Amino acid sequence: MQHVWIVLGVLFVFLNIAAGLIWVERRLLALWQDRLGPNRAGPLGLFIVLADTLKLFFKEDWIPPFADKWVFILAPTVVVASVLMGLAIIPFAPGIVVADLNVGLMFFLAMSSLGVYSIVLGGWASNNKYSLLGALRGASQMIAYEVFMGLSLMGVVMLSRSFNLTEIVAAQEKIWYVFLQPVGFIIFFIAGLAETHRLPFDIPEAESELIAGFHAEYSGMKFGMFFIGEYLGISLISAMTVTLFFGGWLGPAFLPPVVWFFLKTFLFIGLFILLRASLPRPRYDQLMAYGWKLLLPLVLANLLITGAVALWLKS
Amino acid sequence: MQYADHISSDLIERFGPDVFRHQVTADGVLTLWTGKENIVPVVQYLKSNHYPLLYDLCGIDERDRAGKETFTLADFTVVYHLFSFRHNNFIRLKVALSGDYPSLPSITSIFQNANWYEREVYDMFGIRFEGHPHLQRLLMPLTWEGHPLRKEHPARATEMGPFHLYDEKQDLEQEMLRFKPEEWGLQSQGEDTDFMFLNIGPQHPGTHGVLRIILQLEGEEIVDAVPEIGFHHRGAEKMGERQSWHTYIPYTDRVDYLGGVMNNLAYLLAVEEMAGIKVPERVKVIRVMLCELFRINSHLVWFGTFAQDLGQLSPVFYMFTEREKIFDIIEAVCGDRMHPNWFRIGGVAQDLPKGWDRLVREFVTHFPKHLKEYNDMVLRNSLIKARTRGIGVYTLEEAIEWGVTGPGLRACGFEWDFRKKRPYSGYEMFDFDIPIAQNGDCYDRSLVRVEEMRQSLRIIEQCLNNMPEGNYKADHPLTTPPIKKHTMQDIETLINHFLNVSWGPVIPPGEAMSCIEATKGANSYYLVSDGNTSSYRTRIRTPSFAHMQMVPYISKGYTVADLLSILGSVDYVLADIDR
Amino acid sequence: MFTDTVLLSATTPFSYFPIVLQLCAALGFVGLTMFATHFLGPKRKTSDKLVTFESGIEQKGNARQPVAIKYFLTAILFVLFDVEVIFFYPYAVNFRELGWDGFLAMLLFVAFFLGGFFYILKKGALKWED
Repeated sequence: MQHVWIVLGVLFVFLNIAAGLIWVERRLLALWQDRLGPNRAGPLGLFIVLADTLKLFFKEDWIPPFADKWVFILAPTVVVASVLMGLAIIPFAPGIVVADLNVGLMFFLAMSSLGVYSIVLGGWASNNKYSLLGALRGASQMIAYEVFMGLSLMGVVMLSRSFNLTEIVAAQEKIWYVFLQPVGFIIFFIAGLAETHRLPFDIPEAESELIAGFHAEYSGMKFGMFFIGEYLGISLISAMTVTLFFGGWLGPAFLPPVVWFFLKTFLFIGLFILLRASLPRPRYDQLMAYGWKLLLPLVLANLLITGAVALWLKS
Repeated sequence: MQYADHISSDLIERFGPDVFRHQVTADGVLTLWTGKENIVPVVQYLKSNHYPLLYDLCGIDERDRAGKETFTLADFTVVYHLFSFRHNNFIRLKVALSGDYPSLPSITSIFQNANWYEREVYDMFGIRFEGHPHLQRLLMPLTWEGHPLRKEHPARATEMGPFHLYDEKQDLEQEMLRFKPEEWGLQSQGEDTDFMFLNIGPQHPGTHGVLRIILQLEGEEIVDAVPEIGFHHRGAEKMGERQSWHTYIPYTDRVDYLGGVMNNLAYLLAVEEMAGIKVPERVKVIRVMLCELFRINSHLVWFGTFAQDLGQLSPVFYMFTEREKIFDIIEAVCGDRMHPNWFRIGGVAQDLPKGWDRLVREFVTHFPKHLKEYNDMVLRNSLIKARTRGIGVYTLEEAIEWGVTGPGLRACGFEWDFRKKRPYSGYEMFDFDIPIAQNGDCYDRSLVRVEEMRQSLRIIEQCLNNMPEGNYKADHPLTTPPIKKHTMQDIETLINHFLNVSWGPVIPPGEAMSCIEATKGANSYYLVSDGNTSSYRTRIRTPSFAHMQMVPYISKGYTVADLLSILGSVDYVLADIDR
Repeated sequence: MFTDTVLLSATTPFSYFPIVLQLCAALGFVGLTMFATHFLGPKRKTSDKLVTFESGIEQKGNARQPVAIKYFLTAILFVLFDVEVIFFYPYAVNFRELGWDGFLAMLLFVAFFLGGFFYILKKGALKWED
C-alpha cells in the first residue's frame, strides 16, 4: 500500500510542478525580458495555471482526417508516460522512491530514449510537411544526444560503482560529483537540453522555421500532453542532474532532505528557463557537428581520465 | 550634369541621331525617348558603359495625359531608370508604345532584376514583354480581371460592385494559389530523391508579414525557392492618381511602415522639385533629424526580429523598449507614432514643440550605452555568428546586378550612400561616416546596420546642437496647407488660399524622381504631373522589392534554417515590397 | 565479472512491482485525461479543418513521400554508436576489479571506437551540404 501512495504522490507533485511551470516560466521570462508577464488572474497572476489548464480541457479535441488516427493518439501518450516512468527511479529523500532499482540509471536512460518515439510518431502521423521535418530533425537529435547522455554518466558510475540512484546519492556524502565530474555534468546537462528539445535545442519545433514542428497539427489536450510532457521532461532532467551531480537530497540538517532535493531541482529548472531567455538556436547540422566533434571526444576523454585517475589513486 | 551630355552624345554617335529624342524634366535627369526596336541594344550598351544598375522599370498609361502632344503620341510608355555609380548619374530611357495592349522586347537577358519589374508592368498595364522567361502576374491575384494601373480600371472599391467570396470562388482562388512546379521549370524528382515543395507563408511567423516563399527541398537543403508577393498589395501607386498632391502624404507613410516620415520625404522631394520649392534650412534639419530617428527605429525592429528569427527570444523586447523611447520623441514632435504624416509640401506640419531638445538629448546620451549592450548580446554571440557568417553571401557585382542598395550593398565593401553621394535635404551639411563591411554575408549586413545606428545618432546630435532658426515652411504659393498670412489683405491670395485648401495645389506639368537613402536602401518616387491637382502617375521604387527578388538566388544550397537568417538579414517590409 | 554484490543484491521480481504501479498510474492519467477531454470540447467540422494547414495555402503533394536519406544515415550511425556504448556500462561498474589490464583493453576499445568515428567523419557522412 505504501507503494501506491508514493506512486500517487509522485504523480500529483510532478503534475503540479509541470502545471506551475506554466506560470513560473512565463513570469521568469518576463522578468528577464523587462516586462510583466501574466499578472492579472489571481494573486501574482497565479490563476493563469488554472485558466490555461481549463482552456486545454475545453478546447476542441481534433484528430485531422488526413492523420493516422491511432498513431496520432499514441504519440502524446508516449511523451508523458515515458517521462513519468523516468521519475519512478528518482530518490527524493531516503526511502521516498517509487522503485529503488539496482539498474536505476539504465532504466532512466531507457525511458528517456522512449521519448523520441513521441516526436517521430507524432510528426509522421500528422501528415504535415512541417511536422515531418520536425520529426526527422527531432529523431536524429535525440538519438544522437542519447549517446552522449549515456557516456557522460559513466564517470559517475565509475566513482559510485553502482547504477542504483540511492547509492549514488549516498556516495556523494563527502563530495558532490559535480566537483569530481565537471565535464560529465556539463555534457549531461547539454544532452538533457537536447533530449527535452528546449531552446537552444528546440530544433524540432523551431517556431520561426517549422512553426511548432512535430506538434503543429495537435490541439486540445493532445497538444496539452506535449506541453505537460515538456515541463515534466525539464523537471526530470533537473531532478536527475541534482541526483547524479549535486548530492540529491543531501544538505545541511536545518531543512528536511526532500526540501533540499526540490530546492536544488528548482534551481536547475530556472537554469532551463534562463537558457531559453538568452540563447539563440543553432542550425540542425551545427548541433549534430557539435555533438560529434566536440562532445563525443570530450566524453570519451572524461571516461578514460576518470578511470585512469581512479585506478592510480587505488594503486 | 556634364556627364549626361557626354553619354547623350555618345549614344547619338553610336546609334544615330534619329534613334533618340530628348525630353526636359524637372529633376534634370537625362531623359531619352527611343523606339522599342532599339531598347535592347541601347540598354546593353549602357550596361557595358558604366551603367550597371537597373534602378527601376515602370510603365505609364499616357492615353489621358493632358498636353502630352508636345513630346509624345504614345499610348503607353515603359520607363527604364539606369544608374551609374562611377559617374553618379541617372539616365532615363522611355519607350513609346502604341495600341491597346502593346508589347516590346524584354531586357531580362541583360539585367537579372528586370524579371520582376517587367512582370509588374505586365500585371499593371497589360504590356507584354517578348522573351520574358515567365511573364505572369506578380502583385495581383492570378484570377484578377483587368490591369489596375490602366486609366480605365476603377480606383475605388465602390466603383467595382460589391465583393462576395462564394465557396466556389474561394476554392478557385485556393486552387490558383497551389504551386505547380512545372510552370516554374522545377523538377519534382531529383537524381535519387523526390523533392518536397513547402509553402513558407503567407501565414508563417518567419516571413514577417504576408510573404509566400515556395521551397523546393531535398531534406533540409534548399534546391530552389520561388517567392510569391502581392498579398500586401494595396495599390499605393493607383491611389496616388486619385488623391490630391497633399492628401497623398499619409499614404506614403504606410509604404515602408517602419520608415515613417522618411517616406514623406522621398515623395515630397519629387513634388517640391516639380513645384520649384526651396525649403528653409530649419525645415531641412528638422526633416533630417526625424528621418534619422526613424532609421534607428527601423533598424531596432530589424535587430530584434533578426535575433528572434535565429531563436534568441529576449533581444526583441529590449529593442522595442528602446524603440518606445524614440516613439516618445516622435509623438511629442509629430503627435503620432508609426505613421506621423508630418512633412508637408514645402515644410513640416508644425514647428518643433517646446522642450524637444531635452527629449532628444536624453536619448542621444543614453542610447549608445544600450546599443553596445545589445550588440554584445546579439552580434558577439558565437551561436549567432555560426548561424550568419558565410550564409547568404553575394558579391558586389551580384548585388548591383540584382539592384541591391542600402546596407546590403555596403556589406559588400562598397562605400555607397545616397545621403553622401547625392545629398538631399541638406545631408551635405552633416558629418558622418558610411559604415561598410567586406564579406556580403548575413553577419556583415548586420554589422553595417548596427554601425549605421551609431552614425544616425551622430547626425541627430548635430541636428540637436545646430538647429537653425527660421520658418518651418517655405514661403511659396504651392505649399500645403497654404500660408494664411496674407489672405485677409487681398482677394488674389484669398482665392489662392481657398483653392489650395479645397482642391489642393496645382503642381506644374513635369516629371521628377527623388532618390533617398531610406532605412532599407534606395527609395524613389517618380512623379508625373500633367498640371492637375493630383499626380498623373506615381511610381514608387522601393528597396525591399529588389532585395526580395534576390532571395532565391542567395538562398540556394543553404538549409531551411539558413533561409530564416537570410530573410532576417535582408530586412524587408512586405508593405515596401508590394506597395 | 558480474559478481559484484551491488548488482545482484536487490534483484527480486518484487522490486519491479512499483514500476508496474507507476506505469498504470502514468497510462491511467494520460488515458483518462485524453478520454475525458475528448468529450468536453466542442466539435465543429469545417472544410478548412479537413485539409492540412501549410501556411494557409493548398499544399503541393503531401508529407507521405520519400525523404532525404541523410536524416536516416545520421540516425543509424548513432544507433551503431549507441550499441558500442553499451559495452562501457559493465566496464564502468567493474573497472576497479579489472585493474590496469582492463584499462588497457578499454583504451584499445576506445581507439577502435574512435577509428570508426574518424572513418565516418572522413567519409563525410555527417556533412549535410555536400
